[in-house]
Amino acid sequence: MAFRKKFTPKRKFCRFCADKNLPLDYKRADILRDYITERGKIIARRITGTCAKHQRSLTTEIKRARQMALLFYTTVHSTDVKKKTV
Amino acid sequence: MLNNYETLLLMSPELAEENRKEILTNLTGIIERDGGTLTLVDDWGIKTLAYPVRKLTRGHYVRLEYVAPGALVAELERNVRIADGIFKFVTVRLPDAGAAAPATEPVPAPATEPVPATEEA
Repeated sequence: MAFRKKFTPKRKFCRFCADKNLPLDYKRADILRDYITERGKIIARRITGTCAKHQRSLTTEIKRARQMALLFYTTVHSTDVKKKTV
Repeated sequence: MLNNYETLLLMSPELAEENRKEILTNLTGIIERDGGTLTLVDDWGIKTLAYPVRKLTRGHYVRLEYVAPGALVAELERNVRIADGIFKFVTVRLPDAGAAAPATEPVPAPATEPVPATEEA
């Protein structure tokens, strides 16, 4: 159908399955940042295409990063919003 | 039962260099004393935090990697809590590959060498 052809989305894939060397680590906030929204919410795997196994560990790693102030919990508390010190 | 662990410490940026060194030597002393071996000290330096911690927006990160029995982690964390100037910490057990390697490496290393030789023959 013409309709279906027009709207075929790009196939999503799990980045961590595709590249085994891509570290899934709470210390790599730069990678984890791809999987959270601007407001710091974890993006569902139906949106990102991450496989179930990696999404599970991704969640724990994001939460660890939040604990250590590598990622913020919400923008309201983030350094960008609050006054800078030291 | 030895495992690979890493502890990431978030220390106050206002902490003087020698105070930080003192805390670290204290912690490494505990690791050595309780039958662990420190494998890596990774100093990230002062970084901007994602959110203010105790009203400070910057912090000094130090990562310790060590091989140790599980009981040591509790003892180390107890001391981390006592130490002044450590705001946050997290301890994570690392994949076993590293822990098993140092113990078993000397044994299979000579064993793996003759194996390809026999395959060729």
